[in-house]
Amino acid sequence: MFQSRAESLALVLPAMLFAAVIFIAPVLILLSEGLRPAGSWSLTYYISFFTTPLNLTVFLRTLKLGALVTVSAAVIGYAAALCIVNLSPKGRGQMVGLIVLPLMISPVARTYAWIVILGRTGIVNQALGALGLTDAPLRILFSETAIFIGLLQLFLPLMIISLVSALENMPRDAISAARVLGANWLQVFWKVILPLTKEGLVIGGTLVFTGSLTAYITPAILGGSKVLMLETLLYQRVTIANDFASASVIAMILIVMSFSANLLLKRLATARAKR
Amino acid sequence: MRKILLASSTAFLLCLSSAQAQERKLVISVYGFAQDAFKTILYDPFEAKCGCKVVVETGNSVERLAKLEANKNAPVIDMAVVATPDALAASRANLIEPIDVSKLTNYDKLYDVAKDPIGGHLSVGYTFYATSIVYRSDKVTINSWNDLFSKELAGRVAFPNVTTNQGPPTLYMIGKAMGQNTPDLKAPIEKVAEHKDDFVTFYVRSSQLTQLMQQDEIWAAPIGRFAWEGFAKMNLPIKWATPKEGQTGGMNVMILTKGAKNKELAYQFMDFWLSTEIQTKLAEKLIDSPANKEVKLDPKIADNLTYGEETAKSLDLQPADAILDNRESWISQWNAKVGQ
Repeated sequence: MFQSRAESLALVLPAMLFAAVIFIAPVLILLSEGLRPAGSWSLTYYISFFTTPLNLTVFLRTLKLGALVTVSAAVIGYAAALCIVNLSPKGRGQMVGLIVLPLMISPVARTYAWIVILGRTGIVNQALGALGLTDAPLRILFSETAIFIGLLQLFLPLMIISLVSALENMPRDAISAARVLGANWLQVFWKVILPLTKEGLVIGGTLVFTGSLTAYITPAILGGSKVLMLETLLYQRVTIANDFASASVIAMILIVMSFSANLLLKRLATARAKR
Repeated sequence: MRKILLASSTAFLLCLSSAQAQERKLVISVYGFAQDAFKTILYDPFEAKCGCKVVVETGNSVERLAKLEANKNAPVIDMAVVATPDALAASRANLIEPIDVSKLTNYDKLYDVAKDPIGGHLSVGYTFYATSIVYRSDKVTINSWNDLFSKELAGRVAFPNVTTNQGPPTLYMIGKAMGQNTPDLKAPIEKVAEHKDDFVTFYVRSSQLTQLMQQDEIWAAPIGRFAWEGFAKMNLPIKWATPKEGQTGGMNVMILTKGAKNKELAYQFMDFWLSTEIQTKLAEKLIDSPANKEVKLDPKIADNLTYGEETAKSLDLQPADAILDNRESWISQWNAKVGQ
């Protein structure tokens, strides 16, 4: 498009400089705190992080909840997205609108609503009691279950939207063709829909997983300090202990986890495509 | 053309800098809350009085202390308000200097507890609060800090997390009730750990508690008096406990930056803040309980604050050095035993 490589480079330079100065440099400075605690490079903070039992518990819990939320979002998301793409264009617009709507409400308000819903006298416990499933109200609040529900509700829309746009780009007759050729629904999903929509799954999965890893409000309100996650631990390190070195270790771990999740999802997607 | 531009901009800059030199400026560092009220009650009247400009920096204690430390050699902030352990931390880091109380005309009006909270006249208390237990009086009675562990309250208590301002004082009083009151809080933390499944949550924000109380999720929670108003307004039978071991609490203090540029203004400002007039106004807006004993309040307002000679005397405050020296170890003990 441009006359020379130099010209296009010159055009991209301001944006690159901006990103480097405003974003990349501060992040690198922040992350280096964990590697140079006393002015010299050392892995002390990383070693001590992973040798503390509490940190390991918190790390594994964060990973587990992130993975669970992502997988659940993918399962529910595919079901919802498949329904939505089969609607009339008008209905599709309305449904997508409804799904996007919660994203416009502050996560604090949404999370507080869960406190009412999941509480001892909330609708979930009332329903369980009325159905005779429980004798006494369950304590769902301030548990991993509560965080899971909160995070799933928070990030499911991102997965559904990614999958809807992926499904919309899929050739409309691919499913019918597969059915005509004798594939059952499971085969259709596994061999036709999944490979053709893997891009959407990768994007949705990365958004949901990264979001779950880094969400602070939901684990703080629905889990409290009884169920620490990496992000709540990070907050504690900075605001209470003024311990920026450990906090930067946690930040690095979160970044690495997000990148690895993205790479892993991409790898899974390409591996399937090659077969 | 270029010359004219240069000359005019130089002239403009000169005017600007002379204007700046004329205007005296006081830089203060305060908590971010209720700043609108502080502006009308405290900052604006002070600016009018001193003919100077008050520059306000806000943030949480950690951020603000970090800033003091960063500007150690060329202080920007003249005076700051922090909690007592943070004042002690600032003093140990050599960031503050003793306050010459003879320059504060309102000093003698302060309650004794506020006169020299961390010693060495390094700080002056301007507000304090009691910490005790709010509870549903139709469900339980609370006479002791030990009652937080009673059978009737199992599964009905929100306990302050150790990282909050109410956490350590609560543990301190539990230790006192257990007769094992060591600064490391080992015994009370272990007791909480033993009962950790009986607590609904370890709360971080007291604002969350009114909702939990309203929803019948909790029947009791240790809180600071500043959060009492929300409970008092509720349409439920709720009481403030007066445990036999006493009430505890916390105090916020003023500190003077070492090498502050506008020391005289800082003194004037502190004195103004401690005056009966300003302390009364801040109390009437339920912003800060008065540390000035001449403040007279309507009983209705006093009920929402920590007010009066008797209350001030009865507060069993945790020593600032115990907090500062042990905070890290409390958090790691807590995380290891309670937080998993």
